[in-house]
Amino acid sequence: MNLAYLDVRHRLGRFIGTSLGVALLFAVVLAMAGIYLGLVDDATILVRSVRTNLWVVQQGTRGPFADMSRLDPSIVARVAAMPSVKRARAFTYQVMQREHAGRSLRFALVGLDFPVDRGEALALTHGRPIVQPHGEIIADASLGLVIGDTLHVAREELRVVGLTKQLLASGGDGLIFATVADAQLLAEDTPSDAIRAERERRTERLRQTDLGRAQPALEALTGDPDFRAPALASSPIAAVLVDVEPARADAVMASLAQWPDTSVFTSAEQEQLLLDGVVDKPRKQLALFAVILVVTSSLLIGAVVYMMTLDKTHDIAVLKLMGASPWRLGGLVLQQALAIGVVGYGIAVAIGVQAFPHFPRRVVLTEDTVMGVFALVLTISTVASILGIVHALRVDPARALEG
Amino acid sequence: MDALRAEHLEKHYGQGDTLVRALQDVSLRVARGSVVALLGPSGAGKSTLVKALGLVSLPNAGRIWFGDQLVVDNGRLLASVQELRRAHLGFVFQRSNLVPFLTARQNVEIACEIGGTSNPKKRALELLDWLEVGHRASSMPDTLSGGEQQRVAIARALANHPKIVLADEPTAALDKVRGRAVMELFRKVAREQDAAVVVVTHDHRTLDIFDELHEMEDGRLSPTALATVAAH
Repeated sequence: MNLAYLDVRHRLGRFIGTSLGVALLFAVVLAMAGIYLGLVDDATILVRSVRTNLWVVQQGTRGPFADMSRLDPSIVARVAAMPSVKRARAFTYQVMQREHAGRSLRFALVGLDFPVDRGEALALTHGRPIVQPHGEIIADASLGLVIGDTLHVAREELRVVGLTKQLLASGGDGLIFATVADAQLLAEDTPSDAIRAERERRTERLRQTDLGRAQPALEALTGDPDFRAPALASSPIAAVLVDVEPARADAVMASLAQWPDTSVFTSAEQEQLLLDGVVDKPRKQLALFAVILVVTSSLLIGAVVYMMTLDKTHDIAVLKLMGASPWRLGGLVLQQALAIGVVGYGIAVAIGVQAFPHFPRRVVLTEDTVMGVFALVLTISTVASILGIVHALRVDPARALEG
Repeated sequence: MDALRAEHLEKHYGQGDTLVRALQDVSLRVARGSVVALLGPSGAGKSTLVKALGLVSLPNAGRIWFGDQLVVDNGRLLASVQELRRAHLGFVFQRSNLVPFLTARQNVEIACEIGGTSNPKKRALELLDWLEVGHRASSMPDTLSGGEQQRVAIARALANHPKIVLADEPTAALDKVRGRAVMELFRKVAREQDAAVVVVTHDHRTLDIFDELHEMEDGRLSPTALATVAAH
């Protein structure tokens, strides 16, 4: 006969109420774990999505995500010219917030080196890669944009031609991919007067160079945002993505490391930089919250189980007079603690499955997480039952003889 | 043959000026198949004696035998208390003390399980039928009358064929008719189950049921009260 089950059945309302309370705590523990995993996934998904071997950034920085990196675009051509380099792409990255359709739209803008990189490597759920050098973007669905939507930013019209799913920046903002030229336009987003003044300054600077004096026709190009005359100051890029032959990756990296104006990281190092730099503090904070919640859950279950045991003091005394073993009495308390934990956790998982997809930040629940937290719940319940078990074992059977 | 024998039991609480001698040189023999009443005013030591005999609160001195087995020697327990309770003792309390989350049958069945009975459910139903509450086997304790609760409690006490049944004021919460019915059940238990039954009672209207009466006062068994029912 299972006394724990029969007692629970007799006081079902209180058991369910207690389990619900515990479930909410466990749901928050699960959410913490899921948000952490989401944070890690969000932080690294961009690095994984662009599918490159090496990241060349400004010398001495840890850019472009953990640190600001500014490179002259000419470095793309320098890298592309190296032996064993299959492809070199310019890359820009900037978090922006703009108004769109009457609401505030916060996103991370990634520049793709069109036409070398049109976004084919991205996992598009709808639409197509970028095919025009100007005016097309690929956006993450989390931003609420759909194919055909037009963003009016920096006096430019950018039309959504492709959609991704759950492609987020480390801050949880959805990603928008544009050509490097468009990205730089949006990033610079300066007033018309300032743009005109800058064009004039460019033209003036061009005239003061040998190149400008030798080729006056170049003046016509200074109004083009994608113009990259080496002698002119042009908009910097954040990084150069380098695709190399796998067998030669180390050698290329060693060569790039010799350059005085750049630093180079592998994709794995770039992911680690993101985790160490961008995610580290939120990760610690989440871990701290999780520890507090685990302790709170343990105390709550412990208090509930202890109160349930106190309520049964007289019954336990009667059972002792019958000759009940400590194992049976301890088992009664332990099984009830485990029942509260397991039922509470089951409800917590159900809550999580229903509620987490609606959270503003992505919550990733993996099988490993669910099983890991379940093991934690079993441990919490066992530890929480100790006080109740000690009380049960200390009950004086003489209490059964008291009126 | 004696089912229960106690010799020179002493039990005291406190020390010095606060010393209370709850049992003083108490000796008692209870034969199998007999029903014995412990009478006396409150504080006389009746419940202390029952606790000592039930190994709930051991005496400071003296010896106790269950049948031929010496179980307490000079206040020291000589075997596992759980084993001794399972094998020899059954308790009936002032209130029925049924476990509230178990049905009548389960209350008896759990005692059978603890005692290691091979078919506890069958044994529980047999006992409830024998005590004429079999029809309430599936009822929860709070739906039973006081008399029915005590019958279930007696069935529970008999679950493991105890040689000794100790009852501490089992009719205190019952009216006269139900109280007498329960006392008669104890005689039935003694006769038909061949158990020694020791009952603490204040109810002088049911004394004719008992084989022996023992009166306690100030921790002593009064020699003048060692009269048998036959002598009344």
